[in-house]
Formats: sequence, C-alpha cells, structure tokens
Amino acid sequence: MSAIHLKNLTKSFGDFAALKTMDLEIADGEFMALLGPSGCGKSTTMNMIAGMEEPTSGRILFGERDMAGVPMGRRGVGFVFQNYAIFTHMTVRQNLAYGPKMRGAAKAEIDRRVGAIAEMLQLSPLLDRKADRLSVNILQRVAIGRSAIMEPAIFLLDEPLSNVDAAFRAVMRTELKQLQRQFRQTMVYVTHDQLEAMTMADRIAVMDHGVLQQVGTPLEVYNNPANVFVARFIGAPGMNLLKGMPAESDRGLVVDLGPLGVTPPLPDELAPAVRAARGDVLYGFRPEQVTLAERGLSMPVSFVERIGARTIVHLGEGEGAVKAVFENDVGSSVGQIAVVAPPASSVRVFDAATGLAVKAG
Amino acid sequence: MSAVTATIAEDKMEARTKPATPNEGARLGFRLTLPAQILVLFISAFPLLMQLYISVTDWSPLSGIGWWNAWEMWNSFANYTDLAADTRFWSALQRTAIVMLVCVPAEFLLGLALATLFADDFPGKRIFYSILLMPMMVVPAVAGYMFFMLFQSGGPVNDILSRIVGGPVTIAWLSDPTLALIAVMVADIWQWTPLMFLILLAGLVGVPEDQMKAATLLGANAWQRFTTIVLPKMKTIIIIALAIRVIENFKIFDTLYIMTGGGPGVATETISVYIYKVTTQDLIWGYVAAIALAILIVLSIVAVYAMKRMAKGREVPV
Repeated sequence: MSAIHLKNLTKSFGDFAALKTMDLEIADGEFMALLGPSGCGKSTTMNMIAGMEEPTSGRILFGERDMAGVPMGRRGVGFVFQNYAIFTHMTVRQNLAYGPKMRGAAKAEIDRRVGAIAEMLQLSPLLDRKADRLSVNILQRVAIGRSAIMEPAIFLLDEPLSNVDAAFRAVMRTELKQLQRQFRQTMVYVTHDQLEAMTMADRIAVMDHGVLQQVGTPLEVYNNPANVFVARFIGAPGMNLLKGMPAESDRGLVVDLGPLGVTPPLPDELAPAVRAARGDVLYGFRPEQVTLAERGLSMPVSFVERIGARTIVHLGEGEGAVKAVFENDVGSSVGQIAVVAPPASSVRVFDAATGLAVKAG
Repeated sequence: MSAVTATIAEDKMEARTKPATPNEGARLGFRLTLPAQILVLFISAFPLLMQLYISVTDWSPLSGIGWWNAWEMWNSFANYTDLAADTRFWSALQRTAIVMLVCVPAEFLLGLALATLFADDFPGKRIFYSILLMPMMVVPAVAGYMFFMLFQSGGPVNDILSRIVGGPVTIAWLSDPTLALIAVMVADIWQWTPLMFLILLAGLVGVPEDQMKAATLLGANAWQRFTTIVLPKMKTIIIIALAIRVIENFKIFDTLYIMTGGGPGVATETISVYIYKVTTQDLIWGYVAAIALAILIVLSIVAVYAMKRMAKGREVPV
C-alpha cells in the first residue's frame, strides 16, 4: 500500500498547458476520483502517476519515494485502460499470467496466482477462452485481474465504465467498489461521470482546465462547492446561481437580484462574511432543495421535464434561469408563475468577481 | 372473390420485381460475369491446358507441325522422367533454394529492423522513408545494370574496399562462382528489402498502442513486448510478406540475368534462368512445359498454405 503525493505538478504539451498546477495528497488505501470535463487534465495527471508521461515540473511521490525517472514498468502501479487493452491474441489465462510470467515467476507460482485471482473475480470457468470474444464486463474483470495479480500498491483506473451501457454501469459501480474493499489498495479513478465519482470515491478531486478546483468527500463537494465551477459541475442539474447585490433589509442581509426581486434573508452565519466580501455575489442553491412557497422568488415556468421519479421545472430565462427538481410530479405548467424559495440553510454565496465560495464565519 | 384475385395479382407483381428463386439470381450472376470468366479462361486455363498437353510430347517449334498436333510426338511422360534425372535442373533448383533461403530471411530481418526503427519518430524520417522506398521503384533490369557496373573489378565496390583496406582490391566479383552468387543476392536484397519494410511497417503501426503500454506496465521489457505482443499480432502480415517474397524470389530472373547471365558457367543459374535457356537456346518446349509445370505445382502449394494461414489469421481481429 502506498500514499501518493503530487507536488506542484504541471504538464505542457508544446504551448498547451494540460495541467497548470496540481497539489494533491492521496492517502494510503483511499479511493480518489479525479473528476472533470474532458480536457481538464485528469487523464494527464493519471498518466503521469503511471509514468506514461513525464511531468514538465513538480514531483510525484509514492509514500516517501520520488518517482522521477522511474520507468512505468517499475512503479508497481496497476492500470486499467479505458478500453481495457486486453491482449486479444491470448486466452484469459495468458492475460492474467502475463505480468508474473514477464517477471520470471515459476510455473507453479503463476498457476497458483492465476487460480486465486480467477476465483476472486469469478473468471475460473472462462480461463481458457480466447480474450477477443468476451463481453465487456468480463473484459473489464480480466483487465482488473491482470493488474491485480501483480498486487500493485496503487491501482489506476481510466474511465473504465465509459464503454459500458447505462444499465450495466450501475452493476459495475457496485462491483468495482467491492473489489476495492477486497484489494485495499490506493485507487485513483479518472472519470467525467459524477455519478461514478459520487458513488464510489472516498474523496473526489474536481478538475477543470488543468487546475484542481476542490478536493473533498462526495458530500462536501456536493454541499459546499469551493467555487462556481464545482457548484455548476456537480449535481444534475447543477447548482442554480443568480447574480445580485447584497443589500441590508429589516429582516437581515438579503441579495438584491434586480428584476427577480429580493431573496429571503441570508442565514446569520453567512451574513458577516458576505458583508465583508463586498461587490456582486452569486446566490446559489441546489435545484433539489427548492420548494414552492408563499413568499420567495416568483418566476415564470418556461419548461417542465417529467422523468418519472423526478420532475425538473425550468424557471425564467437567460442569466436569471433557475431549475427546480421535485420528487414526483408537480402541478406547474408552462407560462404559470411559480414562487420558489430555497431554505436558508441550503443557500451558498459566491463572490461574483473571483467565483470563490464565501465561507461562513 | 375480387379481393382474392387482387392479392394474387399483387403477388405476381412482387415476383416480377424480385428474382423468383435463388436459382434465377445465380443464373443472372453467371450471365453477367460470363465475359470476365471467358477472359480468365483464355489467359489462365487455356495456357495451362496447352502446357499440360505439350509437356507429354517431344514437340518443339522446329518440329514442323502445329502444337495442336503435338500428340503425334507423344513420348509417354519421358519429359518427366528426364526431369527427375536432369542434374542441371536439380542444381538450378538447389541454387534457387539457396538464394531464397539467404535473400528472404535477410530481407525480412532488415525490413523488420527498419520498420521497428520507422515506427517511432525521428528527425528526417520522411526523407529517409522516401529514400528507403526508392530501390523498389527501380526497374529490375536497370537495377541489374547498376549492380553489374558496381561489381566490375574496377568498379565502385572494389574501389570502396580498396580505400578501406588501404591497398588495391581487384576482386572479380562476377566471374568467381561463389562471389557472383553473393553479388546477385546482394542486388536482390537491395531491391526487395523496401517491400518487406513497407508491409511490416503497416503491420507494426497496427499493433494497438494501449496493449503495448499495458504490457510495459506489467513489467515486460522491450524484447518481451516484441515477442509476446508485436510478433503474435503481426503473424498474419508476416506470413503474407514472406509468401510474397518466397514466390517472387523463386522466380528471380531479370536482375540476375543481366548481371551474370546465369554464369560464370552455371554458377548463378537459377530455375528461371535455366528455363529461359532451355526455351530460347535448346528450343525443346515439351521439356520446358514439364519443368514449368513442376514448378507451378511447388509454388501453388506454398501459395495455398499461405492463403490458409491468412484466412485463419483473419478470424482473430487484432
């Protein structure tokens, strides 16, 4: 087992800075998801951890050991590729045995290890099948087994579920999480799918444009986004953000949203920080936490999405658009005026100039 | 009633637009491909049958009768029994085999080495690539003259050698039996390594990069990656490349004939040169037909084997 420390890591391809700066501590045995839209630098980060690419600057440490100049074959890293990179000209057994064989393990030893890993991953009946005719879920298990047999301290997974259809993805998420509990390795999981990150990871590192935006547990990232990007990126749909000006009122500090009116007063613990910040702010709240109320923001309904268990109501337009998610159906229809109110405790405020969250106290 | 008739009429309409039976479709296909089939018959089956026919006679263009009357000179397979006892034929065959066993592996290994080199990027790659392919574009006869000149006793090869050893070198390349064979093989390797290189490069770039990376991550060194991933993935293409060169090399003629004419003596007389000489100098065409047929059978076996391997390889997508 091994912790991973990324220190001032950067990577440029010619003029393009794929990774502008990255400082990340991944604890021993932790399941860390690198989450971000494509081109955010998450795969680049992973490739550098694996040793497939050399950092432009900065350091990578596994535990105490600096990985600079250590070739990828000697890093003791297991890597599951996006398309699994199974050796299609071999059988499942040959795939699993590949690592130990290349390192010159004895035949009996290889057989024992292949048997054990196949048992664990339920691949035993398939051992002598040619790898080019297997279904995706089996390929994935072969890919994991092929790396796991080396007992790597660190396991890297590069979007392993992106080739799988939605129904299967749910099954695989559970399976992967169970596997991680079995292997107890440090796992780094690259994905652009927040659902995967949320359900599996101990902590999530949200990235965008080569910059680490926030690191935290799934709930921290969801509940307390560090900045506007994370607020919008996490959650489906993302957080509602309305631009406005803080204003004093007899009920306490409110945000003047211009044509949308004035918000309910900000929670007491947030008010001093917002006062101190000055300038325009973004008034944020989760669509899921919106309720229909007597008093609040009254906005016209522009679109209603009914998706069975949930109904997403789109309110307003342009800059002032808001989405509200309701359990089950709701009586709104297009053209109606809905009055929505986020509970005070769920409101988050961001500095409009910097995009950073205004933290309480 | 009228509804029933309408249905039948509709059925008939449908029948007219589509071929009624699979048989009718096959017949149409046959008719459409007939011109091409006749052409194929004329350029391949006809000469083959003619050859087979003449090969069991003593017919020659000097016989004074048309080839279709060659049956008058029927010699009850004497050509084939002669062939079995023809030491010149057997030594030509042996020489052809030696040339093949040296040239094809040399071309393969050189081609593979170059392909491995060109699979990665290096400065000036495009220029070297073009230069490398040039020998293949030289007309074999021209290449023959080129090497004929190069290997003269006062030619550039000896000149370069004399500069290296620092004294005069006057090796009679093309008039020494062993050296002449070597010179001929050098020319063949020079001309055909590029083809090998090209085919193998195509195979090499087709090896999936992520599988190579996966192998590296699992601890395989460069040589292990080559033997466990690259070679198995390239198996089909290697067989194709080798089959092409084995068949082509077996027929080695133009470059060689211009360089040595099969000489000195019969030192570089390969099977093609031998057939050529028997055809144009001895004019015993019945015998020539027998030799050519024997070789055709040998080459066909090679080709069928290679095609079988190719078909087998195709089942396994890379």
